[in-house]
Amino acid sequence: MKFKSHNYIQRSLLGMVSFFKEAIFAEEFAFKPGLLQKIEPRIKAALILSLILASIFIKTTPLLLVLYLFCLLLAALSRISLIFFLKRTWVFMPIFALIIALPLFFTGRIQEGVLFVVRVLTSLSFAVLLGLTTPHTLLLKTMRSFGIPQMFVMTLGMCYRYIFLFAEIIENTYLAIKSRVGGAIHYKHGQHIATWKIASLWQKSLQLNKDIYDAMLSRGYTGEPKVLDE
Amino acid sequence: MHIPDGYLGPTTCGFFYAVMLPVWAIASRIVKKTLKAKQVPMLAIGAAFSFVIMMFNVPIPGGSTGHATGAVLVAILLGPWAACIAVTVALVIQALLFGDGGITAIGANCFNMAFVEVFAGYYIYKLISLKSAPGSKRRVIAAGIAAYIGINIAALFTGIEFGLQPLLHHNAAGQALYCPYGLNVAVPAMAGEHILIFGWVEAIVTALVVKFLQRQEGGLI
Repeated sequence: MKFKSHNYIQRSLLGMVSFFKEAIFAEEFAFKPGLLQKIEPRIKAALILSLILASIFIKTTPLLLVLYLFCLLLAALSRISLIFFLKRTWVFMPIFALIIALPLFFTGRIQEGVLFVVRVLTSLSFAVLLGLTTPHTLLLKTMRSFGIPQMFVMTLGMCYRYIFLFAEIIENTYLAIKSRVGGAIHYKHGQHIATWKIASLWQKSLQLNKDIYDAMLSRGYTGEPKVLDE
Repeated sequence: MHIPDGYLGPTTCGFFYAVMLPVWAIASRIVKKTLKAKQVPMLAIGAAFSFVIMMFNVPIPGGSTGHATGAVLVAILLGPWAACIAVTVALVIQALLFGDGGITAIGANCFNMAFVEVFAGYYIYKLISLKSAPGSKRRVIAAGIAAYIGINIAALFTGIEFGLQPLLHHNAAGQALYCPYGLNVAVPAMAGEHILIFGWVEAIVTALVVKFLQRQEGGLI
């Protein structure tokens, strides 16, 4: 079976673009002078995590809807475009939950279906709100306050940076493939291209590990990491 | 496979956090003891690698695409304990920063993918490959089988977790409060799609990456 090249490569490229766009948008909102942006990150994280927990513990749809409206109010007060926020939170998880719940609506279990969808929507909206109103590096730093072991916090901080580097490498790779592939690709060939790229990314990772360790040594690393200092 | 918030009840979420806490503690201790100083950045790079593997769209017959979780691949490359930390870190970043997978479900997601899938896949790979040469075809096949079984066991656990929700959490009228489908629906749904589609994507990706790495640097696997 031939695979339309623009489908497979274009989908990968669009995935990369949306990943970068999301991260950039998040950073943009995080620095707006809104309500949640002004709150100390640790307090904000604890507050929003409590609201996510509340959305899991609540057992009735009306109460969950009140919580959801409160989330929208918080988003508006934090100067997040409501259209952007609704788009960001409705696609894809709640729509997927709606599809899962569809059979319930035809079998008389409407209340269960509505409760399920509203719960997924509310908890996801709070999680997205936290990510949008806090610079990502700061959010990772707050994890130290919640007693997360140093090894995890250090790995989280370093990992976050490399994700962008890797995503850029992948984007460039797909652009290079797109510029060289004219016609359709057999799906097996497409699988070989994707896995070959994963293998070469791993090789690059090994090289990167050596370079980073050398850089750490040159900055005085003695075996005890100092993570995400002020 | 990433369970979002709202699918699992508080008891289930708490249970899996409680199960994973000692696993994370043991993983930290073992990795700290065995990791050489110059391999320290490798954990973070391994986590970033396991995060971006999901960004690679792999074409499947029928004109669609799928993606692998890469958990078994990372386990083969880093060893199970380091992979447990790397996949956990990737899942935490996905949940916390990108809303992919729930924050309350981090414990359950890590149990399924960073523990069950990683360890099952790794030991199946070891069992099948035995003492075969690093560049042997047996290791490529072992990686594919391990990835296929690993992701299917993880999917089975996910299906069971979903299916138990109506039994564990319901109101006085017997209505489900979280995932509304019982074991008879959730398990076949999760197992079916992984046996038929996603398991094969995982197997092909893992086996081919191992094969390509063998060609590039035989002693790596």
